[in-house]
Amino acid sequence: MKLLLIASCLVLLTAFSTNADVPKPKTPDKPKLILHTGLEIVPDAKLYEAKLQISQSDFNNLRAALDGGAGSSPVVGSIAFSAPRTIVAGLLMFMAVSVAGVLIARSSSVGRAQKTVGAVLVVAVLLGAAAIITRGNAGPPGSWRWRNLPQALAEGKSTVGGVDVEIVPDDQMNGRTMRLIIPLKKQNSPGEE
Amino acid sequence: MQNATVIDGWPRRATPTTIPFSAIVVLSVIAAAAFASWLPLQVSIVTLFLFAGPHNWFELRYFLMRLPVRFGRSRNFFLTAFAGLGVLTLTYVALPFLYNAALWSEEAWYWVVASWNTALLVWLASLVWLRSRQKPRANWKWTIPVALALCSLNWLGPDLFSLAIVYVHPLIALWFLDRHIRRTRPEWLRAYRRCLWLVPLVLAAMIWQLSLATPLADNNGLFWRITQHSGAEVLPQISSHMLVSVHLFLEMLHYGVWIVALPLIGRIGSVRFWELRTVPIARHPKGFPRVVAAMLVFAVVVVIGLWFGFSVDYATTRDVYFTIAIAHVLAEAPFLLRML
Repeated sequence: MKLLLIASCLVLLTAFSTNADVPKPKTPDKPKLILHTGLEIVPDAKLYEAKLQISQSDFNNLRAALDGGAGSSPVVGSIAFSAPRTIVAGLLMFMAVSVAGVLIARSSSVGRAQKTVGAVLVVAVLLGAAAIITRGNAGPPGSWRWRNLPQALAEGKSTVGGVDVEIVPDDQMNGRTMRLIIPLKKQNSPGEE
Repeated sequence: MQNATVIDGWPRRATPTTIPFSAIVVLSVIAAAAFASWLPLQVSIVTLFLFAGPHNWFELRYFLMRLPVRFGRSRNFFLTAFAGLGVLTLTYVALPFLYNAALWSEEAWYWVVASWNTALLVWLASLVWLRSRQKPRANWKWTIPVALALCSLNWLGPDLFSLAIVYVHPLIALWFLDRHIRRTRPEWLRAYRRCLWLVPLVLAAMIWQLSLATPLADNNGLFWRITQHSGAEVLPQISSHMLVSVHLFLEMLHYGVWIVALPLIGRIGSVRFWELRTVPIARHPKGFPRVVAAMLVFAVVVVIGLWFGFSVDYATTRDVYFTIAIAHVLAEAPFLLRML
């Protein structure tokens, strides 16, 4: 029995050491977001070739973002990429939530349920404010503006919405050079559940 | 004595002057939004040239009118206010010189800005605490966790926090006007507060319409400065057209309140703003008429100097103005607290 246990341990240890030598699987490069801007899709029956028109200012922004080695938006970058500042912010937030909690708990003019609601509200407001700042451009979802694109194209009308410009590694483009991905939600036809 | 038409601070019914007042407020808000959205850069240049200096003069006069002859129980409050005002203004004005003199990394610069913003919040919290001691019935303890939370957010994104001050400051004028109307024209208060709901609605409409607008051409120094001041560098994902328009809209409301609304609404005497005896600390037997006169005359000279500077070199004068103008941003805090 002892021999069996020792043998099992040896097999397990070997397995661990063997696995430790296996190189970490290579994760594919993710597309890099470098710019958020507006896009208008305009159907034109007179044209024979599709055109991609970029405003001079957007082109300059695009070039500046690429020159700056952008990998994330500057808003997020200035928030997240500093450990000491994050520590200071965390300590202050801890103190804020603690003091708020003590004040709510010591308050005699409100009931227990109201105290709980107040505490939840304080936390929610703080988290919400942080989320809004982190997102930077929080607002209605981008797909909302594109929801009528098929109908607009059928009627020959233009549609305007937001667009993120991403730089994608060549091997993920399947031989294509540019791709426009529209966030269209599947809409049920009348009578369909 | 309480106004006869007011019950618990709220008027029972609107007076005949309420409707014209509301109409003027609504029209002003809509007109400001239309101009700010239509030609943001051009209107920004003209608005700043015409109204920046005069609005500071009117603010100075308004603060002098609210200054007591003797500080009395408020001595510590005013000493803290003026000491903080002086130190924070001097350090803020020194920041551009530091930036040019020292080769700091971007992260080091974030620390400097975050420290200044923290000092500002600590000063504001101290003023609130001192003021709350004079108002035993008021419970302002909740401002402590709020100040700490704001400090925390400031350290996460100091440049975003500084930009938030740029956008929030114009709205403080609307708070001043609220307190002023409450004291002088309480029958208008309900209508005014209802009209205020228009501001977030107009802002939402502007953001909705302009969020995808083509960024403004910032190919010359002046246009670049205007877009930068509105936060185009801090928020590159957002259309600079929207940023400049929203900021300009708020600034126009700010100037309108200080130059038009506050001097005109209220007692008849306050309308004659050029008369020294309308300022209590100049009129009082133990007051300081010469000091007040000297301050107001000096302020007029500065306003004329500002116009001259804008005419000669608009871009540089704009930079200098917005650096020194932090003093009036800070000065609003203690006087607003005194009115609460």
